Amino acid sequence: MIPSVAPAPADADQTASTTSAAAPRRRAGKAAPTKASRYRLFASPGAVAGLLWLAALVVASLTAPLWLPFKTEDQDFTAVLSGPTAAHLLGTDELGRDILSRIFAAAAGTLGTSLITVIVGVGLGTLLAMAAAGAERTEAVISRITEVMMSLPGTVIILAVIGAVGTNIPLIMAILGILMSAGIYRVVLGQAKSLQSQLYVDAAKVDGLSPVGISVRHVLPGLANTIVVQAALIFAVGMLIQAGLAFIGFGPPLPQPSWGGMIQGASQHVYDAPWMMVPTGAVLALTVLSANAIGNALGKAPNAAAPHLPSAAARRHRAQAVAAIAAAPAPKDADAQEAPGNGTLSVRNLSVGVDNGVGLVTGVSFDVAPGTVLGLVGESGCGKTMTALSLLGLLPSGVSVSGGQILWNGRNLAAATDKDMEGIRGRDIALISQEPMRALDPMFTVGYQLTAAIRRLRGMGKAEARSEARNLLEKVGIVDAQRILKTYPHQISGGMAQRVAIALALSGQPRLLVADEPTTALDVTVQAEILSLLRALVKDTGMSVVMVTHDLGVVADICDQVAVMYAGQVVENGKTAAILDNPRHPYTLALLAADPHANDADNMPERLATIQGQVPQPKDWPTGCRFAARCQFAGSACKDPVPLLASGTGEGLVRCVKADQLAVEGMDWLATDVPAARLLPISSQHTTAAHQHTTVIEKDLA
Amino acid sequence: MALFVAKRLLMALATVLVVAVLAFLLVHAMPGSPGAVSLGAGASQDAIDQLNQQLGWNDPLFSQFFRWLGDAVQGNLGVSLIDGRSVSADLADRLPVTASLAAGATVLSAIIGIALGVTAAVRGGLLDQIIGGFVGLLVALPAFWVGIILVYLLAVQSSVFPATGYVPFEVSPQDWALSLALPVITLAVGGAAFIARQTRASMLEALQQEHIRTLRATATPTWKILYIHALRYASLPIVAGIALQFIGLFGGSVIAEQLFAMPGLGQAVQTSVSTHDAPAVQGVVVIATVVVVAVNLVLELATKFLDPKLRAS
Repeated sequence: MIPSVAPAPADADQTASTTSAAAPRRRAGKAAPTKASRYRLFASPGAVAGLLWLAALVVASLTAPLWLPFKTEDQDFTAVLSGPTAAHLLGTDELGRDILSRIFAAAAGTLGTSLITVIVGVGLGTLLAMAAAGAERTEAVISRITEVMMSLPGTVIILAVIGAVGTNIPLIMAILGILMSAGIYRVVLGQAKSLQSQLYVDAAKVDGLSPVGISVRHVLPGLANTIVVQAALIFAVGMLIQAGLAFIGFGPPLPQPSWGGMIQGASQHVYDAPWMMVPTGAVLALTVLSANAIGNALGKAPNAAAPHLPSAAARRHRAQAVAAIAAAPAPKDADAQEAPGNGTLSVRNLSVGVDNGVGLVTGVSFDVAPGTVLGLVGESGCGKTMTALSLLGLLPSGVSVSGGQILWNGRNLAAATDKDMEGIRGRDIALISQEPMRALDPMFTVGYQLTAAIRRLRGMGKAEARSEARNLLEKVGIVDAQRILKTYPHQISGGMAQRVAIALALSGQPRLLVADEPTTALDVTVQAEILSLLRALVKDTGMSVVMVTHDLGVVADICDQVAVMYAGQVVENGKTAAILDNPRHPYTLALLAADPHANDADNMPERLATIQGQVPQPKDWPTGCRFAARCQFAGSACKDPVPLLASGTGEGLVRCVKADQLAVEGMDWLATDVPAARLLPISSQHTTAAHQHTTVIEKDLA
Repeated sequence: MALFVAKRLLMALATVLVVAVLAFLLVHAMPGSPGAVSLGAGASQDAIDQLNQQLGWNDPLFSQFFRWLGDAVQGNLGVSLIDGRSVSADLADRLPVTASLAAGATVLSAIIGIALGVTAAVRGGLLDQIIGGFVGLLVALPAFWVGIILVYLLAVQSSVFPATGYVPFEVSPQDWALSLALPVITLAVGGAAFIARQTRASMLEALQQEHIRTLRATATPTWKILYIHALRYASLPIVAGIALQFIGLFGGSVIAEQLFAMPGLGQAVQTSVSTHDAPAVQGVVVIATVVVVAVNLVLELATKFLDPKLRAS
């Protein structure tokens, strides 16, 4: 009867409407927490209805003596067990008492005493969580105690308490609150701990703020929403339990009416007056529903991450979008017509967008010939990963290809169904991703994951696949393959996991490997090993690679061709050597100037360059040059759309109206002036504000 | 692993002991001495005093507790003050009733809840919203009210099931199942809703994991991603949720037993609390705790076994 309240806000909603919260929207969705929660509350019709119902109930029950047609104990023997009539709107019970009057007379008591459970339970749970979040040893003790509390048969204990103290409802509800505080503690603790580990809390500690002060000033405000959510849910549970107790005869002393007691009375007349249980049950259920609706609306996770496997409904939605692209007439321009040779990937005018219309990638084109490596370079948020994932048809939920072609072996993958893509993924085009640890399934052994993929992609038998798995692991440079096959992902190092992930990608003998920042999460020495492994694999197997990276060192190391991306567009492309030695686009110039490794030790500049500002949000992209706002060379000509034009270095292309002028004048991207505030020991306020706008790019490129 | 099991066992034992002390103190705080309760309203003060003396009521508390504990360890939970029956024997008769009820309700909630939760998470869209609304409604319905409605519909209107009573398994397995059906369904309504929510949330979280993308990138069939990999990942919180639910349902049996007139532990708590039958209350609290803690322990070990990280360490 005591419903378990531990992982309460499980109703966090990530349905179709919120799944479209793809990258840009997610970032945009950060508002002040209180504002957001109030918005969530009023955005949910259920919660608004719930609030209205609760308010009406409280008002109606407090003013009950003024308007109720009957006193709770008025007995009308002419109308015993009656259904709804004009005199008794909700009927009468076995003594002819008016059910409507009794329901509302009982409401105040029910709501009030349930509030006791809320105050005791949520209060105690929060206090315990704040105390535990501050000190590890305290946490160990409190967590043990709450674990014990949660594994107790709460109902039986409450009944034993009733045996000792009688049916003193407020006291019993308070004790119930104590029992329930354990579940609330568990919910609140995680959040309190993460607040407690914030840097500003550390700073406050150094400042000498007392633990209590930190809890009150820095932790408690952050918990506010969770506390309100828990309070609403506990309120509902409290009402249900109280009614349950009254139902089995432990309600408020007679003749005081209670909802549970009234339902108990009704249960005696199921045979002759079934109507009787309807009004009270409905009111109780509605009230519980209201409290739950409020709690769930507030507890709704606002920024739910998109699933990597969209729901069936989302997949149907995407299939329609794909069909639309397939139906669209092929573009007439010359370069879309030339069919690429076998094994060449040819991306033509590719656009990727959020389903609500915002474009993330616009008009991207590139070719990858067999046995070559193409680098997609740029800052975070430029659409590199979206471009890469679209090659495999693995864009996150709510994001899809909105135009253009991905030509591979005479087929347009942009218009391929998910079923068709299943035949391509792994066999033709494979993926390795940024964080090898998260890319492997933690629940299965390396061996299981590898052999399952090999059997599926190569149609091998079990034993054969097993030995092939060992071969693959040896091929990616794992010495004790036999042992690694038996391990779980958490038992191996990051570098080892990335080797396993590469082996997994190779299991279908793909001809194109899409590598999404494969070395970013790894130690520097391991990075070099993984890169040389990839280089060797390209040489041995003749496969081609699309390498997403923001590390120009990686580009120099492994890429044959480079496409520099900025704000969803390719701004410059060409042979690696040409671009690194002779960059033409100001963004490429800036990236190189900001890269500490791109400069030799002897001509290392005193200050590394930075690029002011940040990549604009997709919705804010201007019609003209998207880099203009941050460009040192921007002029009035940059306000018009800029086409990709031959850069003059080999077959490279560049998207800048001033490219030729810059090349002729031999201009460099300069390290911008350091704000005066950084040179002076005391900073004045307006200069620090200006400084905050300077995005330090080296960090991203290191 | 062995150390972990040992630790948990010790914790479980400590829990039961703490509850035993608590129950003992609560029972002592009950109004009326055991003599008065046992002899009823008409008894003389002398007779009451004499019986209290005989029952050891006037001994120091801790010696009374250790006497009780010593007996309890040997399986003797004392004698009812009301009918003089052995509490242990009475509870031994009642335990199977409540155990079948709680176990049946837990299994039924798990089956329905997991099916609903997985469907909502996997299918998404309109179906997800419909299931969400339905589950939200079920959570809000009081179990006893649902029970009455069920009785009305399935026992009064159409006599598919018996309205009340319990038939022991040994007497007739078929009637046993029939007599359990309504109470089990009554309890499972809320339980299933809870597990459905837990399952949906866990499944969605599993599907957000990056390894799901790796599986898709290696052309793993959708059904295998959903029901082998994602469900496996989600199984840990789901099993933990089921364990919590069992505790709730075991307690919830008090209501179901009252409603369906079933001679289980819940009924025993209810009557013994009403009649201030101290040994019976104490006995039933301790037995209920032992059962709940034991089942919880098993399910917790199962959870740990499902997690490769914990299994290995």
